[in-house]
Order: sequence, then C-alpha cells, then structure tokens
Amino acid sequence: MSDVIVAGVGLHPWGKFPDKSWVEMGAEVALEAVADAGIGWTDVEAMVSGAMQWGGSTGMRSGNTISAALGETGIPIANINNACASGGSLMRAAYAMITSGMHDSVLVIGTDKSPKGYFPSVPVLADEPRPPVDMVRWQVGVPNPAYWALEMRKRMEAHGSTEEHLAQVKVKNSGHGSLNPYARYRKPFTLEQVLASPMVCDPLRLLEICATSDGAAAVLLVSGRRARRLGVKPLVKVAACSLASGEFGDPTIRIPLLSATSDAAATAPLLSESRLAAHMAYEQAGLGPEDMDFVELPDNSSWHELQYLETMGFCGEGEAERLLDEGVTTLGGELPVCPSGGFSSFGEATMAQGILQIVEVTWQLRGTAGARQVEGARKAITEVYGAQANNSACILTT
Amino acid sequence: MTMKQTPVLEGAFVTEPEPALVGSRCRTCGTVAFPAGFTCPDPRCSQKDVRPSVLARTGRLASWTTVHFPPPPPFVAPDPFVPITVVEVDFPSEGIQVVGPLAGTSADRLRMGMAMETVVEPYYSDGEGEVIGWKFRPAEEGTRP
Repeated sequence: MSDVIVAGVGLHPWGKFPDKSWVEMGAEVALEAVADAGIGWTDVEAMVSGAMQWGGSTGMRSGNTISAALGETGIPIANINNACASGGSLMRAAYAMITSGMHDSVLVIGTDKSPKGYFPSVPVLADEPRPPVDMVRWQVGVPNPAYWALEMRKRMEAHGSTEEHLAQVKVKNSGHGSLNPYARYRKPFTLEQVLASPMVCDPLRLLEICATSDGAAAVLLVSGRRARRLGVKPLVKVAACSLASGEFGDPTIRIPLLSATSDAAATAPLLSESRLAAHMAYEQAGLGPEDMDFVELPDNSSWHELQYLETMGFCGEGEAERLLDEGVTTLGGELPVCPSGGFSSFGEATMAQGILQIVEVTWQLRGTAGARQVEGARKAITEVYGAQANNSACILTT
Repeated sequence: MTMKQTPVLEGAFVTEPEPALVGSRCRTCGTVAFPAGFTCPDPRCSQKDVRPSVLARTGRLASWTTVHFPPPPPFVAPDPFVPITVVEVDFPSEGIQVVGPLAGTSADRLRMGMAMETVVEPYYSDGEGEVIGWKFRPAEEGTRP
C-alpha cells in the first residue's frame, strides 16, 4: 500500500465575499495547493471536489466547474456531498485512490458559499408521494442548532455541565482564532461577552454556534513515490483516513430526523459515527489518542467540542468539562483543541471545513503555523461531523 | 364554519379514539420507527415485514429547547415571531424518542423526566386552512379525553 503525503495546501481567507464567486475561490486554492507542491495544474492526475448544494446544479458538480475554469485536462473528477463531513469524505476518497496505486497525485477541493442564518432545506420534488422528513422537521420547527441543544440539555442533566462551560469553549477558540489570519472572526471574547450574546436554541447562544461562511480549501495528496521525486519536505503523512456512518440503536437524534432510539433502549453509543470514525483511524494508524499532540475537531457548537473530546477517546463520559477548566485544551496546554480557532472562528463552509482542518494540521506539522504554533507538533487527528450521521477522521504525522 | 385541516404528515398520527403518534412496528422483532418506515430499521432483522402501529400516548420528557429565531420556510412563523419550544419525549415502552412542539405550557414549567402526552393541534394556518400535527404537553395538565 502506497504512503499518502500532503504535498501542497491552499486556503482562502473565510468570511463573506459577495463580489467573488465560489468558482474563483475554488480555482485560487487549487492553484495555490499545486504550486505549494511544486507542480502545475496539468500534473494533477485526479480530482475530488465537494458537491456544493447551495451552488445549484453547477455547484453539485463543482469539480467540473473549477476544472473548466482552470482548463480541462480530461482527468477523473468525483463530486461528493456528505454534508459538513464532506471534506473528510473527499480526503478518504483521494486517500483510497493513492493507497490503491490508482493515482500518484489527487487534488482535494472544497469551496462553498453559505446562506446566512439557519441552513435551510434544499428544494425537493413536489410530487413525491410522501414529503421527505426534512420538510416535516421544518414545519415542526427544528433548526440544526435545536438538535444540538437537545443533546446539550441531556448532557447538563447527566454530568452537571453549565452554561459557563459552553461559553468557555468559545472563549478558548476565539483566543486561538485571534491568532489566525485566515479566520473570519479574530476577536477574542470574554466569558461575560459570550454569556451576554443572544440565546438561539437554549442552552446554546449565538456565539456558541458556528456561523455560516464562504470559504475554500485545497490539499494535494501524492504517493510516497511522487513525494520523493518532488522532494517534499517535511513529509507530512496521512497515516489514516476513515469514514463512518451511524449505527442502529444510537440515541442521537440526527439532523433532519424526528426520532431516535430511546435512551434506555440504546444499543449503540451517542454519536456512534464519531466513535467509529475515530476508532478506525487510530487502528489504521497504529496510534491512540494518547499519541496525539493536538486535535482539530468539529466545533459546530460548543456542545460538539465537549462531546467530541469523549467520542474521539480523549476522556471518559462527562470529563471534557474538566479538561476545558484545567486549560488542557488551550494552546500551551497538554492537548490543544482547535488551535486554528475552529469552526467557531471560521464558520461553516460545509464543503471546505474538513479540508481546512487538513491545511491547518499540515502547517502545524511543518512548523509554519506562526503565533498559534503547537510546540513540537508531530501527530494530530481531525474529525468532521456531518448531518444524518456522517463522520470522517484523519490522522497526520511527520 | 370548520376550517379545512391538513395533516403535516399523512398517517403519522390519529386523533380518535385518542390523539397518538402512528409509527411502524416490525412484525418479527417489534422495532418501532417514527415516522413509519417501509422496512425494519434494525440491520440484524432479516424480516422486513412492518405495519402501522399506534404508539403509546404517554412518555417522559427527555429534553427540550426553545428556538428564539424563526426557522426558514416551510416553517410558517407568526409576525412578530414568538419563540417556540421543541421537546423530545421518550416512549420507553416503544423504544423510541420523538421530537415535537410543546403544547399547553411554557418551557419554564418543564422538568426532566416529567410525564408528557401526545396531542394533535394546529401548527399554523395558511390561506386555505390549518395544518395540524402532533405536539406534546405535560400529562398532569388538562383533562384526558
């Protein structure tokens, strides 16, 4: 099985760019990633790209759209949508193409512009015999953060987590984000400021839920053989890349569903897809959570950060708050979590956010992360959370 | 004049003899799904013969949240928007928990684990009539039909 090396990365600053198209943003990061690898666009052997639902039908075939913009070379292009876990799913598709020996260089692209506010539903056929559950959940009135809030209230009841814990996650990540020139939000917040922000879906406040952003990121993955020929240094290796979906019997109510297995009858753990993806990645890399120097996890909300520390194996149930309180997860602590500033500082650009994590980890492992550099970073894990139980984890080492 | 009433999801609830959710139940292993599915959602169950099943009316409050900003369409928001409370009710006898709007009280009166019962009420009115659906209210309040 061929090694998989990150040869080049490209990242667009995140924010709102009304005067720039997602195609332009995608083309920019694509060229940045290939240039960073020391190759040209015509040397790319294959491409995987996030199928961007907000971009309509050309957005769903974003890879072909970007390829046409850069000049078509006839390469295989696959467009994938796994909700907010798309970036990880793209990584895994590219990883498989290289480990299998099918290709020596694969470009992974995510570019996205998001609607403001709650993510709305995507139009569906009017003449379906039954409306899809996504339509019904909107009539009931359950936006995405409400799903997270329902789980968070259970967590508060079970483990005594407080509103201050939720706010503290934002305080920490906004501090990290203030050090990242690519982040959309670079203002560090105090606990009081976060607690004074409007309630959206209680107990989750506006500043504890990630915004919806425009953003783009690209990674050029190459085989070990190609990396040697290109003289890639330092060698940032993709040691694992997993993808998992939910297990029957998991009590998590998944976006956009209206029911889940009863807590008492659960035969699978909460966020089973996250536990599975992390477990598979550790097994594949022959490493464990104790080997990781830092983590980029999906802080779609403050609830996610607390929960993912557990599902990714960094602590037992109900212990994440203690890691937060003790500063373990802050830059300079034993296990920095989201040194990039996380989605809390970038906002969601669903096709790109998983790739953003890979770019950040690459810079950290190269030692070029500037003011937010994790000292001596050699190994890190990323995980993304996608609606309807999609999770992907990557472990990078150097 | 009676307004025309349209269910938010055909076949997902009954109003007679009492308001209750209707899901599907596997005839082999008993697994319940809501809304009703075409097959048993348990991957270990080879028998995919499921039929509609009226669920228990009463469950326990598992969680809740109040939504302070109006959801986008097809949610129909009153103007000005009044925050809505969404509750999660666990039906242990059915092995399932279900999300729905709160009825009959406000969020500050809720407490974890309290008994909740299913009711059917209007969600909103459009030009032609009312869209009705399931809601959950504290079982202690109101008179049981």
